[in-house]
Amino acid sequence: MEQRLANTWRMTINEKKFIETSLLSDIRVDGRRPFDYRRLTINFGREDGSSEVQLGQTHVMGVVTSQLVQPYRDRPNEGTLSIYTELSPMADPSFEAGRPGESAVELGRIIDRGLRESWAVDTESLCVVAGKVVWSIRIDIHILDNGGNLVDAANIAALAALSTFRRPECTLGGEDGQEVIIHPPEVREPVPLIIHHLPVAVTFGFIGKENTVVIDPTHFEEAVMGGSMTATLNTNEDVCAIQKAGGVGVLPSVIMQCLRIASVKAGDITSKIKNAVESFNTERSLRKIKRHTSSDVVDVSETARKVDIELSTNHMDRLNLLSEDRRVAQRNDMKVDCQIIQGISKRKSDAKSFSGGPSSWDPYSKGVDSDALRASFASRAVIAPMKKLQDTKVDQPINKELKQPITENNSYVPPIEPIEVTNAKLQTNGEKTLIDAIKPKHRRRKASSQK
Amino acid sequence: MDIDRADGRTANQLRPLACSRNVLNRAHGSASWSQGETKVIAAVYGPKAGTNKNENPEKACFEVIWKPKTGQIGKAEKEYEMILKRTVQSICLSNVNPNTTTSIIIQVVHDDGALLPCAINAACTALVDAGIPLKHLAVAICCCVSQNGHVILDPNKLEEQTLKAFAYLVFPNSIISLPSEASSKLRGEPLEQGIITSVTQGVMPVEDYFHCLDRGRAATSKLSDFLRKNLHLQTPNNPSKAG
Repeated sequence: MEQRLANTWRMTINEKKFIETSLLSDIRVDGRRPFDYRRLTINFGREDGSSEVQLGQTHVMGVVTSQLVQPYRDRPNEGTLSIYTELSPMADPSFEAGRPGESAVELGRIIDRGLRESWAVDTESLCVVAGKVVWSIRIDIHILDNGGNLVDAANIAALAALSTFRRPECTLGGEDGQEVIIHPPEVREPVPLIIHHLPVAVTFGFIGKENTVVIDPTHFEEAVMGGSMTATLNTNEDVCAIQKAGGVGVLPSVIMQCLRIASVKAGDITSKIKNAVESFNTERSLRKIKRHTSSDVVDVSETARKVDIELSTNHMDRLNLLSEDRRVAQRNDMKVDCQIIQGISKRKSDAKSFSGGPSSWDPYSKGVDSDALRASFASRAVIAPMKKLQDTKVDQPINKELKQPITENNSYVPPIEPIEVTNAKLQTNGEKTLIDAIKPKHRRRKASSQK
Repeated sequence: MDIDRADGRTANQLRPLACSRNVLNRAHGSASWSQGETKVIAAVYGPKAGTNKNENPEKACFEVIWKPKTGQIGKAEKEYEMILKRTVQSICLSNVNPNTTTSIIIQVVHDDGALLPCAINAACTALVDAGIPLKHLAVAICCCVSQNGHVILDPNKLEEQTLKAFAYLVFPNSIISLPSEASSKLRGEPLEQGIITSVTQGVMPVEDYFHCLDRGRAATSKLSDFLRKNLHLQTPNNPSKAG
């Protein structure tokens, strides 16, 4: 046990003095001013309800899942919301696995109070059968990297995940009308949660003898600060929660000033969350529209439908073990040297670019530059792909027309089901053009000719 | 004859791989590995002073913590931890840092089949990123056996659940082919060639298991190339993270 303690990190007196002294001149160690937030990026995972937030060096992941349960006795008409926070040992060498320590519990409670007590999430809409069956929403917050100010980052992760989460649609059926039937997402579109407002947490630290206030402390500043305060506010200028648990004493005027600053910051953060959620939703609906257009294009022409399927099936490169020439591991099994693949080296792909973000490879939106394609085909002259290229070009205007009138209806299209699995946005590769889409048709024709 | 897979791959095609090192700031070594939709983040802290009471103090000790995406930690997670710990113990040089503990923390970001191989690959890359001394790298792959006895590589979750049986296999990093045989004789100890880990689920005939092994070993050469390239590309210039 003593050996474990020997591993904890201690701040040196020099570092402490440096932070305090530089704050007297309104400078922070990372170059920010006292009331500046660090850079905030919000990304989403593939499925609904998973978010990844980066606030400077702090990295938090939020996951939302739902389940049907029995309601609490004193609240038979309402669903439940529960938040599980775990300070993963991944985030900090001093975090231990096992039961959550007091800081993990405090973190969970602050977020819980902000969401539940302020009625941010509408729990009455989660009721299915009053008194018997309600939806229980579970939010898991995984702290991946502790760069300071976990509360704010975790709160944003929870809000972002809740905003993009969709629960399955369920109806009452069965013989007595009491059985709950949950519909899979292919049959009925999942339903988003009703969120009235977004309570954003803003954390302040009080450092030094003069109690200089800094916003969004880094973990070095957290080790030095005498006390901290977290204010949870929303854009309607409502104070949802304030947490100041002990620490150094602060004048009421300072608290009022902090609240004013917090409301400004809350507005900024709310707009960032809303923008990120919107771009996720548009790109999600784009994915859905592709699915429906491929089904509606059936009557246009048989080849067009095939091309559509291949366009949507081959967003990813394939590692073909049977092909002999391999340079970079991620490549097509087409025999063409795609220069584009070289650009998609691992250098660019970092963990941040994996999850979410608007897909930038949409084959419909990008025009196909036939000259660029021909240049890349120059090394191995392949005539066949050119023909297919024309096919796909023909399809594009048709598909674009069809995109408009199609709304998100819930018609179930069986043959498109397998494509749904592969309708994967390629997270790592930035640029993809129709070159990659052409390859499978190549393969299919070859396979069919072999047979 | 080709099997029709849902996403259009052939039986021998792997999903697109992506790997990046040094994704976390506090951890001594970290990596994120994704195969298709399955994504895992691994972090390594170590070596830290001291070992657990039960462990041999003359060797370096490893502990693995597996964090699922949601839900409580149960038996399955404990099993993964144990498999990962034993795999890592067989590839690490345990005499270099005696009486120390190295922690490996695995966080599942998304599970779409072949989760354990993905985690083993991520852990291996994270260990390299942290600078833990290793004998050789390990590459992991999942092979599935379908109803009519065909071996399919790297299944996704749907395939794993519907096909008859699958096996997670871990092989040592394959050697880059040497120009002459003389140099291989000069080397003192023989290089590791065998299977490090094999975890199977479901019933499969012995023939099919051997087919899986062959296919898996063939696949490891490609995976090793990918891993090697990846580790060469990113040379870390960051300052020490001991703090």
